[in-house]
Amino acid sequence: MLNILVCVKQVPDVNLVKIDPVTGSLIRKGVPSILNPLDANALEAAVQVKEQYGGTVTCITMGPDQAMEALRECLAAGADRAVLLSDRAFANADTLATSYVIVSAAKLLGEFDLIFCGKESLDGATGQMGSQLAERFDASQISSMSKILSVDENNKTVTAERELEKGIEKCEAKLPCLFTVEKTNYRARIPNFRSWKASRKADIEKYTSQTIPALDPMQIGDPGSPTKVPRTYPPEAGSKGCIIDEGSTERNVEKLIDVIREVL
Amino acid sequence: MKNKSEYKDMWVFIQHDGEKVEPVSLELMCETRKLCDASGEKLAAVIVGELCKEEYEKVLDCGADKVIHVTGTGYAFPNVDAYTNLFTVLCRKYSPSVVMVGGTVFGRDFAPRFACRLPTGCTSDATELVYDEKTGDIEFIEPAVGGRMMAVITVPVMRPQVGTIRPGTFKYAPAGRRECSVIEERVDYPEEKIRTKILSFKADEFDESLNIADAEVIVCVGNGLKGADALPKYRLLAERLGGKLACSRPVFDRGILPYKLVVGQSGTVVKPKLYISFGISGAVNHVTGFSDAACVIAVNKDPDAAIFNYCDYGIVGDMDEICEGMLEKLKESE
Amino acid sequence: MSDYNKLTSALAQELKAIVGENRFQCGEQVKEDYSHDEMPIYGRFMPEAVCLVESTEEVSAIMKLCRENKIPVTVRGAGTGLVGGCVPINGGIVLGTERMNRILSYDMKNLVVHTQPGVLLCDLAADALAHGLMYPPDPGEKTATVGGNVSTNAGGMRAVKYGVTRDYVLAMTVVLPNGEIMKLGKTVCKTSSGYSLLHLMIGSEGTLGIITELTLKLIPKPEKDVSLILPFKDIATAIASVPEIKLANLDPQSIEFMERDIVDSSAAFTGNAVFPTVVNGKEAGAYILVTLVGGGEDELTVKMERLSEVAEKTGAYDMLVVWTDGLKKDVWAARSAFLTVIEAETKLLDEMDVVVPVDRIAEFLVYTHDEAEKQGVRVRSFGHAGDGNLHIYCCSNELEEDEFKRRVRKLMDLCYAKCTEFEGQVSGEHSIGHAKKAYLRQSVGDTAYGLMGAIKKVFDPDGILNPGKVVD
Repeated sequence: MLNILVCVKQVPDVNLVKIDPVTGSLIRKGVPSILNPLDANALEAAVQVKEQYGGTVTCITMGPDQAMEALRECLAAGADRAVLLSDRAFANADTLATSYVIVSAAKLLGEFDLIFCGKESLDGATGQMGSQLAERFDASQISSMSKILSVDENNKTVTAERELEKGIEKCEAKLPCLFTVEKTNYRARIPNFRSWKASRKADIEKYTSQTIPALDPMQIGDPGSPTKVPRTYPPEAGSKGCIIDEGSTERNVEKLIDVIREVL
Repeated sequence: MKNKSEYKDMWVFIQHDGEKVEPVSLELMCETRKLCDASGEKLAAVIVGELCKEEYEKVLDCGADKVIHVTGTGYAFPNVDAYTNLFTVLCRKYSPSVVMVGGTVFGRDFAPRFACRLPTGCTSDATELVYDEKTGDIEFIEPAVGGRMMAVITVPVMRPQVGTIRPGTFKYAPAGRRECSVIEERVDYPEEKIRTKILSFKADEFDESLNIADAEVIVCVGNGLKGADALPKYRLLAERLGGKLACSRPVFDRGILPYKLVVGQSGTVVKPKLYISFGISGAVNHVTGFSDAACVIAVNKDPDAAIFNYCDYGIVGDMDEICEGMLEKLKESE
Repeated sequence: MSDYNKLTSALAQELKAIVGENRFQCGEQVKEDYSHDEMPIYGRFMPEAVCLVESTEEVSAIMKLCRENKIPVTVRGAGTGLVGGCVPINGGIVLGTERMNRILSYDMKNLVVHTQPGVLLCDLAADALAHGLMYPPDPGEKTATVGGNVSTNAGGMRAVKYGVTRDYVLAMTVVLPNGEIMKLGKTVCKTSSGYSLLHLMIGSEGTLGIITELTLKLIPKPEKDVSLILPFKDIATAIASVPEIKLANLDPQSIEFMERDIVDSSAAFTGNAVFPTVVNGKEAGAYILVTLVGGGEDELTVKMERLSEVAEKTGAYDMLVVWTDGLKKDVWAARSAFLTVIEAETKLLDEMDVVVPVDRIAEFLVYTHDEAEKQGVRVRSFGHAGDGNLHIYCCSNELEEDEFKRRVRKLMDLCYAKCTEFEGQVSGEHSIGHAKKAYLRQSVGDTAYGLMGAIKKVFDPDGILNPGKVVD
């Protein structure tokens, strides 16, 4: 029986985020939060492994209470158990502090053979969580994983394909192993009514900084985050280009072709 | 913990296969050279294993003050276990202030991992690096929230400041050779402790049309594209101009064109002579992908589209109509 | 009827003076687009001039001028029609409303919006949502203009619950063929006040007058919605579930059907294989897509419970819940891409938009597919299972145009006859234009068709407004 963990994140749908043209700050109001799309692919990979080899899939996330909605989505799509790590003290964490909290909590849930996460998040997009979780789990890692080929429980190994810059690599890794998942072969499933309904009523376990023993306060949240964001600013608009307006499309195109001839 | 001023030297990891250095490593050498000049620190190239002479010279030409040349067991193929250990050992021994790693799949694998083990802060995908004299920190500046704003990221307390940078972000412009010392380091990692194994590798079939990084002319379509059925005319236009078709991220997300054709921060960085964008709004994470193009032409129906701030010439109008018009004109003149 | 005058250069100057140089195209300047809609197989006809109007007064001035000089006038919105309705088959001028694209005001107390006719449906829908309201009609072509929607009485996916465009038009400003400006209807929900000229205008395809302003009814946005995918063995079992679904008292917002092969094409085209092809180990041959709306999750859960019982009883392989916004977007994007997919895959295209009683859908589709095979025509179909409105597309890549037209003609003759036999209608929402006139006449009979012609004469004695459409 494989013990499988999927680390997910609820993210604002950045495609809908707007910037206040006056203050330059983010307008978060009305922007829906969604399960990070690549995490849904990671979950699908995990559930397929469970269906083939047997086991349980636990989903874990860190975030405010509303992140439970993302976990329900995971339960509907095949996860067996869901855990939310929520505490004001966890806020403003970078990847180092976040991975510390997640792995500290995960250790309370058991020993995991396989750990899955999306290749990167829609909002932060650092793509660092996988490596840092793997480090803290002391697990091997297979990033950009596009296909699990086999899991050998007896020999504690897994083989998989990864998408590298110039081709597909087939590799083998020892368990426990962490994967960051590509969407290529793991389109998220649409849940059926039975599992959807169950997910709406399911208990979501919640852990705070108090329920995770021996959590070092200096390694969580803002104090535990070595990277800081001292400031943000709206992207600098370059200088406005010369707008070609000769009165008609045809003449505009003519002018454009002249420009191109000059350049080439 | 040491005071951060006790950490000295900026390192660049030279990723290579013995015969060829990854271009991104050289790009980072050139950019980090500038940071060293600003801070008065030394630039060190970390080379693991044997590198052929020609390529080695290229590294020196970027203005290295030092080479840390590593030998030992465990580095025969790229693996996270040995390299994480190596950089942990080296950083503890030499206390560099900065470690730059090319944002290849492998670089992005092991850099955050050794940063976690040390521990220290790690940033990824900065598009601009600035040395802040007051704090002595590097400002890693990158587009955030889908390119709607720029974020300045720093590692104000811990050292080294680790950064992975995407290929093509910085220019390869060697500053020239200078006096360079070589430090030989032997760090062995027991091979049996490496937990991953490469079983096989199948190279993608080489498809020249997907190789946009070196194209001289690029016709790039964005979210304004009506659908896949509207594509052929843009492909034809690219062909007529002796160039290649590319796209912005949303077109890939819609499943219309493959990822390899995406221009931008999370795609390929291109440097063509001529870049024509159709129906692209101009989010920064796309714009950073062609900032070195010699001439940029933008077509968009929205006169207020941000893309007009990043072009040399712009036309406000229907993209399909203008593309068709261009094809006609080009045909006439043949 | 056909003794229209040509546009002289003097008249062209007068027209240009009305709309200004930038909004006037004449002769060689006229863009080719104005010669056809999305169904070019019905022929291309270039207008002599195009006027892009911006106000009721401009329309009125143009109509006065054209009537005096017997110049035909054809109104055009976004040109997304499928029956040649906006194509100037007798030449003359095309009056484009694309610049009349302002949403004028909302009346939040009476839940109505005042709008110009050239506003695109997608823009109106999004703007209404931003006001917390919904414009219920939801035709598949989102980049059509609302003026076009009213002129064709467009239906769409939500017709099952909310009805069609006609049910949401409260009032309009119309310019008659003689240039007279008239207001029809009031912002009230009832009327028992004489013949409804308003309703005569709706669906008249720009043959009676030109709509220059609209007052449309809106409703509060439903709190929550969910879409359910029901995969079936084949189209017959899928369609057989529809009456059961309607009887279950769920008040669904839409009930759509789709055949497997078009789902596959859409997946290949959009790169988005959102509909599962194998469900619980069984190959799906057809799907029913149901959308339910309600006041909240509890209410929807009760409805879904009932629907799942119906699904099981009628042989659905499963019931999949499209709950998250991301999934909804994917599913409806795949559904909305169907026509684009068909257009992209074929060189020659013709279509039918028949409506049959819901219990005859499967029978009609089987008949159509069988006959199509006999005639050697490839047929793809999808549509609104909830109201019996079927979109049947005839495609060809190999055939010569003449041969394709010959075969399609034969197929359509048979299908429209079968439709009449089934007590159906020639068009559910795409209208008649000049392409379906003969079938309309066959279907309604000479007396009714004659009355339609007589009505046209009352409004437009000189026959200058969109001549050759709907009636002769």
